Amino acid sequence: MQIQRTNIPAKILIYLVLLIMLLFTLIPILFMVTSSMMTSRQILRMPFSWIPEGINWINFTKAIRGLDNNYVFLRNILNSLIVSSSVAITTVLLASLTGYGLAKFNFRGRNTVFMMIMGTMMIPFETIMIPLYMVVTMLHIQNTYVGLILPFLVSAFGIFQMRQYLTTFPTEFLDAARVDGMGEFGIYAKIVLPNCKPVIATLSILSFRGQWDNLLWPLLVSQSAKMKTIPQYISAFAEEKATDEGAMMAAALIASLPMFILFMSLTKYFIGGSSVYESRKG
Amino acid sequence: MRTRKYRGIERKQARWGFLFVLPAMLFFSLFNFYPILNAFYTSFFNRKVLSRAKPAFVGLDNYARLFDISRAANPLSFYNSLKATITFTLGTFIPLLILSLILAVFISNLSSNRAKKFLQISYYAPAVLSSVVAASIWMIIFDPRGLANQWLNVLMRTPGVDRKWLVDPMMEQMSTMIIYFWKYIGYFVILFITGLASIPPTLYEAATIDGANKSQTFWRITLPLLKPTVVLVSVMSMLQCLKTFSTQYMLYTNGAPRAPINVITFNIYITGIQEQYLSRASAMSVVLFIIMMLLTLLQFKTTKSENVDY
Repeated sequence: MQIQRTNIPAKILIYLVLLIMLLFTLIPILFMVTSSMMTSRQILRMPFSWIPEGINWINFTKAIRGLDNNYVFLRNILNSLIVSSSVAITTVLLASLTGYGLAKFNFRGRNTVFMMIMGTMMIPFETIMIPLYMVVTMLHIQNTYVGLILPFLVSAFGIFQMRQYLTTFPTEFLDAARVDGMGEFGIYAKIVLPNCKPVIATLSILSFRGQWDNLLWPLLVSQSAKMKTIPQYISAFAEEKATDEGAMMAAALIASLPMFILFMSLTKYFIGGSSVYESRKG
Repeated sequence: MRTRKYRGIERKQARWGFLFVLPAMLFFSLFNFYPILNAFYTSFFNRKVLSRAKPAFVGLDNYARLFDISRAANPLSFYNSLKATITFTLGTFIPLLILSLILAVFISNLSSNRAKKFLQISYYAPAVLSSVVAASIWMIIFDPRGLANQWLNVLMRTPGVDRKWLVDPMMEQMSTMIIYFWKYIGYFVILFITGLASIPPTLYEAATIDGANKSQTFWRITLPLLKPTVVLVSVMSMLQCLKTFSTQYMLYTNGAPRAPINVITFNIYITGIQEQYLSRASAMSVVLFIIMMLLTLLQFKTTKSENVDY
């Protein structure tokens, strides 16, 4: 129970600030939704009217049909889904395996290994993209999923999170399983992994999102239209159709839907306290 | 006998532990340590992508070129990249830090839990959109006939003025800051709300009993105890701003002038990938790496000494 002298003007000021900020964050999103249904002329009309005059479906067909009527957008959406989910899966598997190794086993050099992994957090992706680009050209894996996924297989932050979580995991369970004759890898797969669900949820969302939003690396790796990802498609589409604002917003809306659905259904993992650090890579 | 057997088990276990961390170690060696060493190495040569000639060792020439004072007049020089990056970083992270702290304090003091949750979700919503989507929405808002001009002219009673959001160098920098700020404000608000929630309510109760008012409790209790979060958020947002790329890329490919928004990452991309000067781009990468490493070390140092026990 807090006892406070209620200060009416201060309260009004607080509500006003919160309201202005609310409008600032939501209006552009609302703008994207309504203008995806408008013609370009309506979008840039002065003064702007928020209610579309009927739904202008042609925007959505234009967005999906793509630049050369080759429906490459659908393929690009698929690419983004494949890359983002692969990265999420490998990150979860490798981070949990490594985190488990670091948390529950005593081996020589364990602390060195841990410090080295943490040290990679200081190497931002932007500073190593040129050498990575050279590696990718050398291996001839441009325009492949492997090339898109390879630099993001696991993140130091993911390992850190898993290790922190597993340090508190009761060792007695593991020993009991050992006495029962379970193999070490079996213990990881059947006991450790199923018990990491909350971290797995946060970590997979974080990694999925990182790749869904990644523009820089696909720009270096994917040159062919078929192997591009959504951010590349949106930027190319905007460049090409700069005067067709309606189609641009329709493409943007379609590209945002999967993340919005994920956000609405799993809000607590997005906004949970555990997402203290954004994934450092990507 | 028994101890030896026990040791045997321990050693076997140790082997498993090593085996478990091995894949990650291989990954980080190949995709983090090797590339950063390679960036240092390449920066001392004059490597270009398509040239058949063997790259020659040029020592510090690439760095000398980056910091050559006579090139500073060139609007696309590295000097101006540094300037653009610093302008963007300061202009974005300071408002982000201050406003997210204020908003978090305001939200935390609301009595209705539903209002709290609603505001958090709404503020966070832009962060769900990808950077390119954010930039393309704002590009239409910043159109000469767009909402930004219309509303600002109504507010300031200046009908028909075009603020040249994406044309004028200063305004263009400001536009990138607004887009970035819009996308990340909710994320930092939530970090601060989490930090505020970890301050024990008994402290506030004690302060209220002692007769402290709201502003006193904020300056004397909330802010000092929140210092670790403030340090964390400021360094994190600073590091993030230093790496900004997508917004600048989107504006540039849609016809906005390059020089004012030619931030370091964007310059690396253009120099290394489009113009194919790999060594020059590597030298820029090394400079960026050193800047960011210094900031991270600063963060570790400050957070370590600032841990508070209740």
